[in-house]
Amino acid sequence: MSATHLGVITNNQHQVFQRAVIAGIRQVAGAHGYDLVIDSYADDETQPRPITLDYRAVAGVCVIADAAPAGLLREMVDARTPVSLVSHQVSGLPIPSVSADNYQGIAELMRHLVIECGRRRVVFIRGVGGQWDSEGRKTAFGREVMRYNLDVPPEHLLRGDFSAEVAARSLQALIASGAQFDAVLAADYRMGIAAVDTLRRAGYVVPGSVSVVGFGDAEEAEAAGLTTVAADIAEQGRRAARQLISQIEGLPIRGMTVLSVRPVIRDTSLPDGPARAGRR
Amino acid sequence: MRASTANKATHSQLRQHNRQLLLRAIYEGVADNRAALAQETQLAKPTVSELIGELIDEGLLVEEGRGQSTRGGGKRPRLLRFVPAARQVIGVSISEDHIMAALAYLDGRIVARHYTDLGGARGEDVIAAVGETINGLIAQLDAPLLCIGLGVAGVVDAGAGTVIHAPHLDWAQVPLARLVAGMYDTPAYLAHSTALVAMAEYVYGPTEPVHCFAVVRVGSGVGVGLVINGAIYHGGGEIGPLRVGDGLGSLDTLLGWPCVRQRAEALRREHTPSLLPGEDEPLSYLHIRHAADNGDRAALALRDELSRHLAQVFAWITGLLTPDHVALAGPITDLGEPLLEQAAAYTREWVGAGPLRPVSFSLAEAPSLVAVGAIAQALHRELGLV
Repeated sequence: MSATHLGVITNNQHQVFQRAVIAGIRQVAGAHGYDLVIDSYADDETQPRPITLDYRAVAGVCVIADAAPAGLLREMVDARTPVSLVSHQVSGLPIPSVSADNYQGIAELMRHLVIECGRRRVVFIRGVGGQWDSEGRKTAFGREVMRYNLDVPPEHLLRGDFSAEVAARSLQALIASGAQFDAVLAADYRMGIAAVDTLRRAGYVVPGSVSVVGFGDAEEAEAAGLTTVAADIAEQGRRAARQLISQIEGLPIRGMTVLSVRPVIRDTSLPDGPARAGRR
Repeated sequence: MRASTANKATHSQLRQHNRQLLLRAIYEGVADNRAALAQETQLAKPTVSELIGELIDEGLLVEEGRGQSTRGGGKRPRLLRFVPAARQVIGVSISEDHIMAALAYLDGRIVARHYTDLGGARGEDVIAAVGETINGLIAQLDAPLLCIGLGVAGVVDAGAGTVIHAPHLDWAQVPLARLVAGMYDTPAYLAHSTALVAMAEYVYGPTEPVHCFAVVRVGSGVGVGLVINGAIYHGGGEIGPLRVGDGLGSLDTLLGWPCVRQRAEALRREHTPSLLPGEDEPLSYLHIRHAADNGDRAALALRDELSRHLAQVFAWITGLLTPDHVALAGPITDLGEPLLEQAAAYTREWVGAGPLRPVSFSLAEAPSLVAVGAIAQALHRELGLV
């Protein structure tokens, strides 16, 4: 390792999001003559190991989401190591970041559900509690609920952790409770796909009786026909690498670069005419 | 600058003006080859050829294919196309608590935004934060930077590029455009935030182009912006300190968010039970909207009061300027169409039939309007586009 290397700290480099971000970082780093040193400390999620990246031995560090604790980030700031965060922000630390526009994305999905699909009883599946993206999307959902004057009881805010399993379990419990709803907005596309599967297994017609949408996009979402807002994850990686390299080259940067998302309307949201009110 | 005043212009100003004429003609699709440009702009053919060659060298135009030959059977002309990706522009909005900048191509397409929380910073620290915010987008440039547009609420001398007085930032006589131009070695333009919202809404908004377009922006204070004949009129700005009749206070005390918060709390206590959040809970215009939509008496009373105060401003503007269109902008737009409809109805009632032509009203709700307006203004000043 040397000043010709950029460090990347992530929990698991094999996850879809992290893999795409790293691909973007690698592309820009390579074009600027840097190699990557990746510290992926929880590839085995049952046995995470401590972060071992020597940040003093690299030119700068990209941290993906909340993979590095605030204490380590502060150490890097104190050591004047250039750092950029991807999809994360830590209040009180002068570290710039790059993120997709969570507020715009949720606003687009809610507008689609309410205005274009005519839905009023929306269920929200949250992401990981306390995680920056999750909190932003949850807050944005709350704002749009007020904007459209929707009645969303607390039991319609489902526990999720960006995994299909937890999303499916939460939705199964809601269905078993007999709750009435006509739309599901998942804080990410994997949970959205799980919601479509769970609803169909339970006898709901998607999108006839329930519209389902999810944040973020990938090949799996396309294959499942899920309506999403596309956040170009590799682009986030590329932009974060540019931000980091600019800092290394002496440009002081503060704040967050936000990238717009794009609605992708597929097969799981727009109800099929008069069939939309019924349940199979 | 028109030909009649050209004699006052320096050679370089005239050249710049002619470049802008040509670029604009191509940008707007009025002409797409040298002969048509000469005819359209009344410039001499050698001048057109020389300037077009310069614009091609700079990458702002490309030659692409050939058009139809003239009736006389002349050579088919080489077609010219404007290249929006040849340069990028940064627009910056500086408000009391944060800075928001946007990076766009020459057609206004936004590539990225950058937000910086000011965290209570004031004075020179804000100037440093402006630089650190712009740097966030300098890092993301995909093409050379053409220029930077800046928007600030306060008393602004747009011509000199100076913020005369912005107490919320602890700024007085700050030559902001010169400072930013010096930092990046690029032209920088300054205007009042609300004037830029008017420009953004006029250029990129849904309303058809009109002779006189006004924006009333309500947030922590109250501002008015005007676009007249397609150009910003820099006489607008802050109107919040204006007093409204005896004993009613200023517009800021009636419409500024800190006072709206206080009024919401007073009405909540007066009309219990209320759906409005309690004193120690977060409150936004969306909370007020939600409560009003559900028939909450305190929220409905507040919305009615606000619509009357807005109507007062709309009526003044209508009476003084007879604008074709008035747009309401700023965080207050979260109160939605009912607020606007009420305000428009009061305005029509108060203005009366009179000698005035009908005025239309709309909400300007798109995000980042100040920064987008700063981009539009910079493009207008630098290239004569929009």
